[in-house]
Amino acid sequence: MTDTHNADDSTDADSKPKPDGGRVYHEPPETAPIAEGSAVERLRAAVPSGRRAVHYAVAIGVALLWLVPLVGLFMASVRPLDQIIQGWWNFDTFTVTFENYARAWTFQSGPMRQAMWNTAIVTVPSVLAVTLLGTMVAYPFARFDFPLKKWLFFLLIVVMAAPPELVAMGNYNTLRNTGLFDTYMGLILVHIGWGMGWVVMFLRNFLLGLPEELEEAARIDGASRYQIFKSIVLPYSAPALVSVAVIQFTWVWNSFFFPLVFMRSRENQLAPQVLPLMKGRLQIDWGLVAAGSVLTMIVPILLFVTLQRYYKQGMVAAVAD
Amino acid sequence: MTRISMRSVSKYFDGGDTVANYKLDMEVDDGEFVVFLGPSGCGKTTALRMIAGLEDPSDGEIYFDDDRVDGMPPADRNVAMVFQNYALYPHMTVRENIEYPLKVRGVPPEERDERVARVAELLHIEDQMDSDPGEISGGQRQRTSLARAIVREPSVFLLDEPLSNLDAKLRLEMRSELKRIQNELGITTVYVTHNQEEAMSMGDKIVVLNDGTIRQVAEPEELYERPRTTWVAKFIGSPPMNLFEGENRGGTVNLADGNTLPTPAESSSSTVSVGVRPEDIDVSTDAPDTDWTLPGTVKTVEPLGEYVLVNVEVGGSVVNVKVPQTEATAGDAVHLTFDPADAYLYDENGELVA
Repeated sequence: MTDTHNADDSTDADSKPKPDGGRVYHEPPETAPIAEGSAVERLRAAVPSGRRAVHYAVAIGVALLWLVPLVGLFMASVRPLDQIIQGWWNFDTFTVTFENYARAWTFQSGPMRQAMWNTAIVTVPSVLAVTLLGTMVAYPFARFDFPLKKWLFFLLIVVMAAPPELVAMGNYNTLRNTGLFDTYMGLILVHIGWGMGWVVMFLRNFLLGLPEELEEAARIDGASRYQIFKSIVLPYSAPALVSVAVIQFTWVWNSFFFPLVFMRSRENQLAPQVLPLMKGRLQIDWGLVAAGSVLTMIVPILLFVTLQRYYKQGMVAAVAD
Repeated sequence: MTRISMRSVSKYFDGGDTVANYKLDMEVDDGEFVVFLGPSGCGKTTALRMIAGLEDPSDGEIYFDDDRVDGMPPADRNVAMVFQNYALYPHMTVRENIEYPLKVRGVPPEERDERVARVAELLHIEDQMDSDPGEISGGQRQRTSLARAIVREPSVFLLDEPLSNLDAKLRLEMRSELKRIQNELGITTVYVTHNQEEAMSMGDKIVVLNDGTIRQVAEPEELYERPRTTWVAKFIGSPPMNLFEGENRGGTVNLADGNTLPTPAESSSSTVSVGVRPEDIDVSTDAPDTDWTLPGTVKTVEPLGEYVLVNVEVGGSVVNVKVPQTEATAGDAVHLTFDPADAYLYDENGELVA
């Protein structure tokens, strides 16, 4: 490869050889010389070698494993029941219909129209509160020294490791006693408390990477602690906050167990609670369930796709430290 | 304007296990450019941070004019600082960075704009004002961080190795630029560096630090001409001074390798060192008719263009010699000669006698 390049260069009109004891000096061209060879040769060079081909095959196989159920779900949601009852991969007849979506949207024992709105009412405040509070808790853990710091942080991690079933009973009683049972506020509070553990841990790791010099520069510039937090720490953490918000949003939005335990009345039901009701009594209405699932799923997916650039930045920085 | 005094300032870390600074006593006059010079880990940055207010002294007092400032937060001292890595706020544009100190101090927007425009012009960064710090070159970042420091007209200007991240050419350029700005504004300045060339070229006064304490305070010429101790002598100059240690025999010094030299001055110490700078030594192949000479063997010759550096082995140790040109090559037996007026004498404590 290198040999042919050199040979090319010396005959290239752009490079001007100058005699100097027999040495040839080169002037680099603006762009790399175009590779010689026919289309077939270039195509052959682009075909991966045996080892690499195996890697590709495995990677593509794993990707398909993830994709097939999603495709199936989508197929089931846009076709009439009699076409998918033998399996969505039967394409003897193929009709696209949005009837399933329309039925899910107005489903009698819990219309998605209502359920998704309810889910949003719970999710948005939970995410915003956890993100803001989490930063305010994570910053001191990352930067200051205070008594019991290690123990408090340990406690947070323990909470994070506990299964949700463990706290369900206690929270149920608390919500009952405070009159917050079956209210949005009650569920929001549970989600905030439950999310704090991992959010603080994640943001603390991210903030450890905040150069101390920046805060020192701001102190010398005359900023107060609060001004530093607001004008340096928060904007600096923006990518991490987006990551936290996206993950927390997905978690709260898709959460099934907490609403199941803490929400009772039909008009307060959240989308994941409605899905099992859709399967019917005698025969499972696959189309309806699929359409409801797609509707539920689509919100976090859209959010992720919109914010994925920031999300990736935040993840990389938080995990790298 | 402001005069800085440090009175017996010490700083200990790790509950006293680490002594970062010990009994620093010094004054920086109003409008003076003082350089803290020392090897890495000598405590020069800690000293600067104490003046800034980022660290509190464990002991001693710091005054700005007649006001005691140690214990005061940095914001109340009206100091400005430039950090080695510039410490620009990455999420703000160049303009917002420069504006920040004015903003947090509640300066009204019209005045802010005017002052930002003025420093931008002074530092020639008008064209970069709307760029992010990540998009501009190292030199421009340095200018931005300087602009942010001087925009609020501080009474004390502190610089922590501000040029060490720049390449050689830019460093020279920024050096004269910094000096120009300091002259123009007349702000009391403390500059920390381990680069003696920077120190010599910029400082009105140089404070040499080692092991957390002051070794010598002098103007650049004096520092070069009269290093107070053998440590300073070995630290200043590139390559540094050659020192020949030996026994004082009243008039002559018996070196460890058996050679003798006349003493350039009287001393009561039994062990003394004779020092000569590389640029004050001559290399010749013929034996000269003077006592101020030592025989040696050329080890290496480094032709550096501007001068030739000859490393000569004399009795087991290497002597550096700077000559305009030489015909000597490695392995030659040569004689090193020097003028007694260029020789220094240090006593057994390493302190300068003459």
